[in-house]
Amino acid sequence: MIEARRLAKRFGAVEALRDVGFRAPKGAITALLGENGAGKTTTLKIVLGFLRPDAGAVAVGPGPVGYVPDRPAYFPWLDGWTVLEFGRAGRNGPAGGNGRDFRARVLAAARDLGFDPALLRRRPGTYSAGNLKKFAFLQNLAAGPAILVVDEPYASLDPPSVKAVRDALLGLRESGATVLLSSHMLAEMERIADAFVVVRRGATVAQAGLREWRALRSARTGPDLESVFLRLSAP
Amino acid sequence: MPDTALLALTWRITRRRVLASWPAVAAALAFPAGIAWIGIGHSYGTAAKLFYFLLPHAFLLAAQDAARTDLESGALENMLFAAGRFRGFLRAKALVAAAWAGGYALALFGLFAAWGLALGEFRPADLVKFGLAVLAGLYYAGLAAALGHWMRGGANVLALLLAQAAATLALVFTAGARTGFLDHVATGRFPGLGPKLLFAGLAALLPNVVVAGRLSVFTAEVLAGLVLVWAAEERLVRALELRKGTRP
Repeated sequence: MIEARRLAKRFGAVEALRDVGFRAPKGAITALLGENGAGKTTTLKIVLGFLRPDAGAVAVGPGPVGYVPDRPAYFPWLDGWTVLEFGRAGRNGPAGGNGRDFRARVLAAARDLGFDPALLRRRPGTYSAGNLKKFAFLQNLAAGPAILVVDEPYASLDPPSVKAVRDALLGLRESGATVLLSSHMLAEMERIADAFVVVRRGATVAQAGLREWRALRSARTGPDLESVFLRLSAP
Repeated sequence: MPDTALLALTWRITRRRVLASWPAVAAALAFPAGIAWIGIGHSYGTAAKLFYFLLPHAFLLAAQDAARTDLESGALENMLFAAGRFRGFLRAKALVAAAWAGGYALALFGLFAAWGLALGEFRPADLVKFGLAVLAGLYYAGLAAALGHWMRGGANVLALLLAQAAATLALVFTAGARTGFLDHVATGRFPGLGPKLLFAGLAALLPNVVVAGRLSVFTAEVLAGLVLVWAAEERLVRALELRKGTRP
C-alpha cells in the first residue's frame, strides 16, 4: 500500500508540488495522470525516498519496493547478469532463494518480457532504449517486489513489448502487489488500472477509486478516461 | 540496525569499479615497483622515505570516484537504492574506498617491513610513520569524497593534485627567500606565527608532510581536519536528493 498525504515540494523558486495526496491500495494498479510538469515524477520520487517532501507524509509498505524509471540508467562497468545478481544480494532479509532458483526466475521473466537473455552478458548501457526498459522490468520482476512504482511503463516499447509489460503488471496485481504507474498513455491506463489520480500543477485534482471507476466503466454511457482527463486538465 | 546487505553490495560494486579501471590497477602496481626499484638501486632508507611520504596518495587515488558522477548518471535511481538507500550507498562507498586503500597500504607495509627486517634496517619508528601515513590518507579520502559532491569523475583528485603541484612549485621557486622556512620544516620548529600558519596551510593541502613525525601540532591539525572533512561528507550525503528529471 502507498499513501501520500498533502505532499509539497519546492525546487528554489519553482513550486513542484503543493498538495498531492492519494492512496494506492494493495492488489491494485493505480495510475497517476497529469500533464508534462504536473508533478508526477516528483511525486514518484518522494514515494521512493529519492526526494524529501517539504511538507506532508508518505507511507509505503510492507515489503520490498521496486522501481522502473522513465529512462533507466546503470553503472557503466557492470554487465546485465551482475546488475541482476546485485538485485538479489543487495536487499536485507530473504533474498529470493539460491543462485539456481534466481537464474531460473530471471530466465522465465526474460521469456515473458520478450527480452533476449544473451543480452545479459553485455552492459545495459549498450542496449537499445526498448531493451533497456525491459531490462529494468526484468530486474524488478526477478526481485519479486511487493510494491512496484513505474514511470512511463510503455516508453520506448514496441507493441509486443507493450503487451508483455501489460501482462507482467497484471500478473503482479494478481499476486497481490501494489502497483503505481505514471503515464501519458490514457487508453493503456484505462485498460489496466483500477484507480486513477489526476495531478495538475502540483495538486491532486481528482481521484477515482476502484469502486467508482468500475461503476463508471460498467455504465456504457460513462465518459472515457481521455475526456475526463482533458476536462480536469483544462486551464 | 546497519544495512549489511547494502554494505556488501557497495563493496562488490566498488570492487568491480576498481578492477575495471586500468589506470587504478596500473598505479597500484607501479607504486611498489617504483619503491622496490629505488630500494634496490639506491638504499632501503631512501625507499622508506618515499614509501611513507607517498603512501597517503593511495587513499587519495582510491577516492576518485565522485558522488556527483553517480548522482548525474541516474544509476542511483534504481530499486536497489530506494527508500533513501542511495545515501547509505554513497556513505558506504567513501568508507569502502578508504578501506580498500587501507588494505592495500597495510599489505605494502607488511612487505616493506619484511624487507627492512631482512636487511636489519626496519625501526619501530617506522610503525609510527605508517600510522601517520594512514592518518593523512584518511584525511585525503574524506576531503576527496566531500569535493566529489561538486566535481565529476576524478576531478576531485585532479584538483587536489594540481593544488599540491602549484604549492610545491611555489615553495621551490621561492626557496631562496625562504631558506629559514625550509630549515624550520627540516627541524620541525617554527619560531614565528607566519611560518607556522604557512606550514599549517601546506599541511592542510599536503598532509603527507606530517609523516616526518616531528610535527605534532600539524599532526593534530590533520587529525582535526580528518574529523572535519568526514563530518562535512556526512552532512552533504544527508542533504542529498535525486532531483534529475523533476524540474518542470
